[in-house]
Amino acid sequence: MVDAARHPNITVKSYTEVKRVEGFIGNFKVLVEEKPRYVNMDRCNGCGACSPVCPIEIPNEFEEGIAPRKAIYIPHAQAVPLRYVIDEEACIHCYKCVDACGKLDAIDFSQQPRQEWLDVGSILVATGFDNFDPSVIKEYGFGRYANVITAMELERINNSAGPTAGRIMRPSDSKFPNKISFIQCVGSRDERYNLYCSGFCCMYTIKNAVQWKQTYPDADITIFYMDIRTPSKGYEEFYRRAREMGIRFIQGRPSIITEDPKTGNLFIQAEDVGLGRTIELESEMVILSTAAIPRVDTDAMGSVLNISRSPDGFFMEYHPKLRPVDSPTDGVFLCGAAQSPKDIPASVAQGSAAASRAARILNADEWEIEPIVAMVWEDRCISAQGKKCGICATKCPYGAILVETGKAAMVTAAKCHGCGGCVAECPHNAITQKHFTDAQVISQLHALLRHEPEKKVLAFMCHWCSYGGADNAGTSHFEYPASQRGLRVMCSARMDSDFIFEAFRLGAGVVLVSGCHPQDCHYITGQRVGAERFEKLTKRLVDMGISPQRFRVEWISAAEGAKYAQVIREMDQTLRQIDPQALKEEIERTRPELERRVRRLPEIPDVALALELAKATS
Amino acid sequence: MSQNEDLRIGVYVCHCGSNIASVIDPKAVAEFASALPDVVLTNNSLYTCSDAGQRQIQEDIKNHKLNRVVVAACSVRLHEPTFRACVAEAGLNPFLFEMANIREQDTWVHSHEPEGALEKAKDLVASAVAKSRFLTPLDMIKVPVTKTAMVIGGGVAGISSALDLADMGIKTYLVEKEPSIGGRMAQLNKTFPTMDCSI
Ligand SMILES: Cc1cc2nc3c(=O)[nH]c(=O)nc-3n(C[C@H](O)[C@H](O)[C@H](O)COP(=O)(O)OP(=O)(O)OC[C@H]3O[C@@H](n4cnc5c(N)ncnc54)[C@H](O)[C@@H]3O)c2cc1C
Ligand code: SF4
Repeated sequence: MVDAARHPNITVKSYTEVKRVEGFIGNFKVLVEEKPRYVNMDRCNGCGACSPVCPIEIPNEFEEGIAPRKAIYIPHAQAVPLRYVIDEEACIHCYKCVDACGKLDAIDFSQQPRQEWLDVGSILVATGFDNFDPSVIKEYGFGRYANVITAMELERINNSAGPTAGRIMRPSDSKFPNKISFIQCVGSRDERYNLYCSGFCCMYTIKNAVQWKQTYPDADITIFYMDIRTPSKGYEEFYRRAREMGIRFIQGRPSIITEDPKTGNLFIQAEDVGLGRTIELESEMVILSTAAIPRVDTDAMGSVLNISRSPDGFFMEYHPKLRPVDSPTDGVFLCGAAQSPKDIPASVAQGSAAASRAARILNADEWEIEPIVAMVWEDRCISAQGKKCGICATKCPYGAILVETGKAAMVTAAKCHGCGGCVAECPHNAITQKHFTDAQVISQLHALLRHEPEKKVLAFMCHWCSYGGADNAGTSHFEYPASQRGLRVMCSARMDSDFIFEAFRLGAGVVLVSGCHPQDCHYITGQRVGAERFEKLTKRLVDMGISPQRFRVEWISAAEGAKYAQVIREMDQTLRQIDPQALKEEIERTRPELERRVRRLPEIPDVALALELAKATS
Repeated sequence: MSQNEDLRIGVYVCHCGSNIASVIDPKAVAEFASALPDVVLTNNSLYTCSDAGQRQIQEDIKNHKLNRVVVAACSVRLHEPTFRACVAEAGLNPFLFEMANIREQDTWVHSHEPEGALEKAKDLVASAVAKSRFLTPLDMIKVPVTKTAMVIGGGVAGISSALDLADMGIKTYLVEKEPSIGGRMAQLNKTFPTMDCSI
């Protein structure tokens, strides 16, 4: 900690939050806001004269609420920076601290939140985890029974710098508890709360038990566990040592804890898998190994940073095997428990890994980004003809398009991320997206529907989420009918109404448009641009006489392989339920109107040729 | 643009060991592809992404003057970068490469429907070939780099990464929302596996 603060290349911005992120790999602009400490960092020398005079006492978060703190405080004795801070919500403005500070004059109630924009080339996200609140598991009585505590509380009680100066005592009567029990997997590996294993709680419980037993060899210690997980180097040996020391391990998840109100002792009922029967055990204190859960603000941070979450709620990596510390957004990396629960050695290793991934970019003189960007056909843009338009600019999440009436719309390539929303929304077909041009997509459509189109489930997929979801269905071997035909574009924003009209014109049985969930969109608001369009389109298709069940919109994340397979299964089922003759008639009946809708497509460069080629090949 | 160009498309259908070949016959897909207009060469290999598989593509680009390459194999999310680099090394613009996903999105999900999977593989290849005709060479966009990093979160993971970056000579902002850095680790007593104090 101190090394970081002292390093000449590191600027610690404490009490500071990230509000906004703009830009792109190599060129991010980050708006940060420093909260007012009401203590001048340059003047405060950490002497501590202020805190004792403060009349306020509130629970100290660092001590897990076991001990109080003042409204003016330092988080703990080793805090970096070692400067006092006033808790605005708790302070009653009695100004006793101002007097105590005296000549140093470090207290400054005039401070305001301070915002600044910082230019950075890469961002590393290391926001860690929260601890599960065990009071929701009513059977364990946490919050009701004084002597049921969490493992983090034990860390504080058992700490020479902690509230009891390291003297172990139980909360109800401050007596030393000789007979204690630990309960594992509290909120982890439990369908009611979190399915995943929190990974490090087996080891920290063994650590605490071993340490306790070393200090108090007579102590009677029991650990209730589901499975003991000790996969890292040296961990299994450590576990063995615990068993050899006489710590009791009982396999079974306790069903209920009751308290004897007179003694404050606790009775744990559990199924002992080894014995094959229910047992009851009396303990003077019970310690709950609570799950590591995603930070409460994970969603908010995710949308600021444009990164998404895995089904377990932690930040999602680009690829679990091959790019474990990359986020899906170029130039943004993940490390530590923010990505999934992990212990200190693993967090340090990931920290180094993320640093080296970021250094690849930061040590380069320039960085190459994919040229899959929007491009304006100036002769087609009506703004160039002096007409007011600018629809494209309103759809761009990045402010990459500049429209001045009299000139053609202009795209700044480095700012464009290539969602294709402007392309699909331009009513004059005056913009294209490189590598996903209309001619390219239409050629694909014709190829995919060249044979028995009425029996096909045509699925438009976005590159990041639903295509990833389809891949996930594949790696998980979730089967679905082979009637599906997939067509990938970068974002649901690119799925032009014309493509869907064309698919139906060609006689596609059912059509799926699928993309990211709104919070997962890789183009900030690209998904919203698509979603708004599809909402209108759904109505329009029905007006045109297309049965509503032939068009479906679904948001599927890269982790939702099961959902992807399920959606395709359902759509295939739907298609099979439609009477083939009726479907044929519907296709014939709606074709003239669909033809009218797409009549201007051939004006787009290359599209006429694509249609001609498609005809020749079919 | 494509209409003025003499197209020479090469199509590579991968077995992926038995991942693809145990469900469909990659040769049948290649045969289908060879009948598509402008396809001048098709190939099957056990692992197209292997060294030998990539070398074959590179040699074919030179010897057969291929100007489009289509690989039917796994997901673009896995190997598109591999094959783009492969064709680029042989002098072809990497954006003249196209991929058909016949593994994750075909044989791995239709193993009980091999005939349907084969028909689908053909359509996916037809689609990739159709798109490839309209591909145009593109150049990567070069952007400048601000040589500064930001680490959000001052726990042990964030501190480690900030120290590594700083030691590599990179200016780093370490942003922490609490008044002190340290994260959860600062709250711990002794830590496994070493049992030393945490701070
Ligand atoms: C009871 C207990 C005992 C443990 N014992 C051990 C042990 O003995 N050995 C071991 O290896 N591991 C142990 N662990 C695990 C250890 O705590 C974690 O491995 C480690 O804390 C992970 O570090 P981190 O930096 O990823 O996250 P954290 O420690 O959670 O740090 C994240 C930091 O980011 C900050 N932050 C969060 N959100 C934002 C934001 N939006 N903006 C800015 N800053 C933000 C937080 O304030 C915090 O400082 C234990 C865990 C528990 C619960
Ligand atoms: S590490 Fe152990 S206690 Fe924690 S969730 Fe996994 S199995 Fe349960």
